[in-house]
Amino acid sequence: MSPLIELQGLTKDYGSFRALCNINLQILPGCTGLLGPNGAGKSTLIKVLLGLVRASAGNGVVLGLPLGTHSAGIRSRVGYMPEDDCYIHGLSGIETMQMAARLNGIPATEAIRRSHEILDFCGTGQERYRAVETYSTGMRQKLRFAMAIVHDPELLILDEPTSGLDPQERVAMLNRIRILTRDFHKTILLCTHILPDVQAVCTRVVILAAGQVRVSESLELLSQLPSPAIFVHFTGSAERFQTALRQQQLSSQLQAPQQLQIPGTAEEHSSIIWQAAAAAECTIRSLLPSRNSLEQIFLDTVRQVQHAHS
Amino acid sequence: MPIHDPGYRTWQGCTAPLATRWMVIAETGIRRAWLSSWLRRMMFFAWLPACVMGFMVFLYEQTSANDPNAGRTMLGLSRMLIDPGSSASSSFTDIQTALERRDQSPESERHLFWSALLTTLFRRSQPFILIPMLGIIVPPLISQDFRSRAFLLYFSRPITSLHYILGKAACVMFFLASITLAPALLLFTAAVLLSPSLSVLASTWDLSLRILAASLAIMIPCTCLSLMLSSLASESRYASFAWFAIWIFGELAWRTAARSAAVGSNVVVSCLSLFRVFSDVTAWILDPRLVMDDIQTRLMLLAALSAVSLAVLFRRVSAPLQV
Repeated sequence: MSPLIELQGLTKDYGSFRALCNINLQILPGCTGLLGPNGAGKSTLIKVLLGLVRASAGNGVVLGLPLGTHSAGIRSRVGYMPEDDCYIHGLSGIETMQMAARLNGIPATEAIRRSHEILDFCGTGQERYRAVETYSTGMRQKLRFAMAIVHDPELLILDEPTSGLDPQERVAMLNRIRILTRDFHKTILLCTHILPDVQAVCTRVVILAAGQVRVSESLELLSQLPSPAIFVHFTGSAERFQTALRQQQLSSQLQAPQQLQIPGTAEEHSSIIWQAAAAAECTIRSLLPSRNSLEQIFLDTVRQVQHAHS
Repeated sequence: MPIHDPGYRTWQGCTAPLATRWMVIAETGIRRAWLSSWLRRMMFFAWLPACVMGFMVFLYEQTSANDPNAGRTMLGLSRMLIDPGSSASSSFTDIQTALERRDQSPESERHLFWSALLTTLFRRSQPFILIPMLGIIVPPLISQDFRSRAFLLYFSRPITSLHYILGKAACVMFFLASITLAPALLLFTAAVLLSPSLSVLASTWDLSLRILAASLAIMIPCTCLSLMLSSLASESRYASFAWFAIWIFGELAWRTAARSAAVGSNVVVSCLSLFRVFSDVTAWILDPRLVMDDIQTRLMLLAALSAVSLAVLFRRVSAPLQV
């Protein structure tokens, strides 16, 4: 798989403040989560990728086009959903969509058809005929997403796509992102603070802190623990279950009231665990290989950076 | 949920050239502005003077020296309407003389009369529509984009600051042209059609170019200035206030200074009022017989005003992307 975004030694200074420092990064096809604490340089990185700001040093290629010299070409093939609550005053939802489509070069009649089609895909009903300034935060969020995909871009940069959405809409939005990646092979850069969203749709993660790339790895690899362990979710008495496991010479660690982590692999110990559960009168709800949580990875990375700075 | 939901579909059509994208911004701006009922009313009133002047051309061409009633009507209208500053104003003190002169040298007198009408249109009627009209439509054009942070929606697409400004300027120029260039050109066309034969074009063709030049002399500085004011504020009412203040306070300052006869003749003082500057420049362009002192200063003022406004506008529009 060849990378769609390739950055080499990218640096961006705002006066004396260095927002991005020697970024070397490759974004492969698929969905990549871009994480980082506030002020890590995520927005600056997005602006550099879109050609809205010029990098102070370094170079990069987006969709095969060099940064800095082919900004218009890059933007015509990239869809960007900004985090800010931005809209064009005085236009209805469908007019805003048409305008976005036509600014991307879609002919007028085709823009109307495409706008309706995308708004249907995004679950926007008759409210598309209302003025955008009367929309709720969630509706504006959906409209911004629709505007980002109206021209069928190859690369989508989504900045906090699920913030401000109710749980049902959040699931629907993640589904749309999944459909675009899985069925239409779009490359998505998902910039968010909601880590479960990243776990739900992303295959790779980039963690940015203090203007530098700290982690750039597949989620599968990152989630693996240094030594294998089994994660057991059960119902019943945890004390009795742990006692039964000890009798079978298995150590265990209680992670949550109904969750245990047991060292070893499922192939080795699953039958013993089932026996211990039966002896302790517990019901096993799931038995899975234990993984590092993304939250833990993120916190560890940020702590390392803070330590290094202090 | 629609009855037939095809879900997401890819799109692989031909796209419009990059250079034409500004037209989308212009078209959207025009459609949004046209929603204002005030604008539609103003547009109606903006065309009335041209219609009255068309009637005057009709009278001029149809009145014969032995038709006293028509002659009196034309004389009355001419005295009332024709700009006293134009070189033709002295021709309408006596209708008998005016008609005799018309019959003796029809070509030069016709040119004189038409240019007087056009000067009047540009100096005495259209500015009173132009100022409030731009005060209504231009202030929200950029300031509302600032307030609603629409810049990210525009500039994340393949357009540049130049396209954006061009689109907004085209929107303003469309409305300006529809109250200056369009009625004046239509008046000229009507005058040609009402005249005895199309051969009058041989002696009056220059007026069409003069109309274009006078319209551009108004449109370019007004567009640049009004858009700059809109870009300086995120609240459109402040931009409106600044727009009206420039015209009203400028005129008041000129009137105050002009009370002193010695100072009033000074060209620098007349530059205090944008209204006077535009009035003098359009009269100079449309009325070739008019002698005007130091017109270069006024032209330079308009050029400088346009250049400075454009520079500020570019800086303001590019600024949100730099942070």
